Amino acid sequence: MALVPYRGRNMPATTLSSLRDEMNELFNRFWSTASEPFGLAEWSPAMDVSESDDAVLVHAEIPGIDPKDLDISVVGDTLTIRGEKTDETEKCERNYHRVERRYGSFTRSLALPASVDAGKVTATAKQGVLEIRLPKKEEAKAKRIEVKGT
Amino acid sequence: MSKAIDVDVERGQDPTVPPESYFLPATDVYETEDALVLLAEMPGVAPDGLDVTVEDNVLVIRGDPVSGAAEDGDVLLKEFEVGSFYRAFQLPADYDTEKVEASVRQGVLTLRLPKSDRLKPRRIEVKAE
Repeated sequence: MALVPYRGRNMPATTLSSLRDEMNELFNRFWSTASEPFGLAEWSPAMDVSESDDAVLVHAEIPGIDPKDLDISVVGDTLTIRGEKTDETEKCERNYHRVERRYGSFTRSLALPASVDAGKVTATAKQGVLEIRLPKKEEAKAKRIEVKGT
Repeated sequence: MSKAIDVDVERGQDPTVPPESYFLPATDVYETEDALVLLAEMPGVAPDGLDVTVEDNVLVIRGDPVSGAAEDGDVLLKEFEVGSFYRAFQLPADYDTEKVEASVRQGVLTLRLPKSDRLKPRRIEVKAE
């Protein structure tokens, strides 16, 4: 028998809380990348982007990707991340019970909201989360203008 | 790997109980000749944020991410949230839960559960009479 999701230790299947748990699990499954309900979509990392007064901050989920397999470039106002997620595990005979992770190469480009100083961009990968900090160019930084009272 | 419920004193919670809301880590599971291997994607989770327990042949993995750097400024794009990962699996047969190896690398948890000896394929010699 294959591995099956565990339904819980001591809850009879009829209680409301277990119904809620089951519904949660269903939605979780539906929306998570763990299952792709509409066929095989191409894989690319999920990203969060935020902008502060002096920098643009990009976070991307890249679990299992070696930082040296990443290629990050900034051309003009476009940030491009290229990478490849390879199946790094032992190459021996194996029987799969479950394949939910996605592998393959991806390219993602983002239009940056402000001009950034390409020379000062830093990128770090930690625990499968990539952080790219793109400091803005001096002229693109928000400046607070004092209003003088007369 | 303790058989009793391993209460995490530091966080004051039982790791086998699912958190209020959680993400299901995408998991690959495969079987080799001598072990069952699980690869679970848990980006943002450091080794000390991981709990792996086996009790009554139920494997529970739980990961709490290190709270990332605060997203300062305006959010322009939000495609993922940071939260706990949780997943439980019923193990199909007796695995040697004493010898489970767990490691985490680049946000991917690798669990290796060796098969107990009686599950391993055995060649039976046929003797000629």
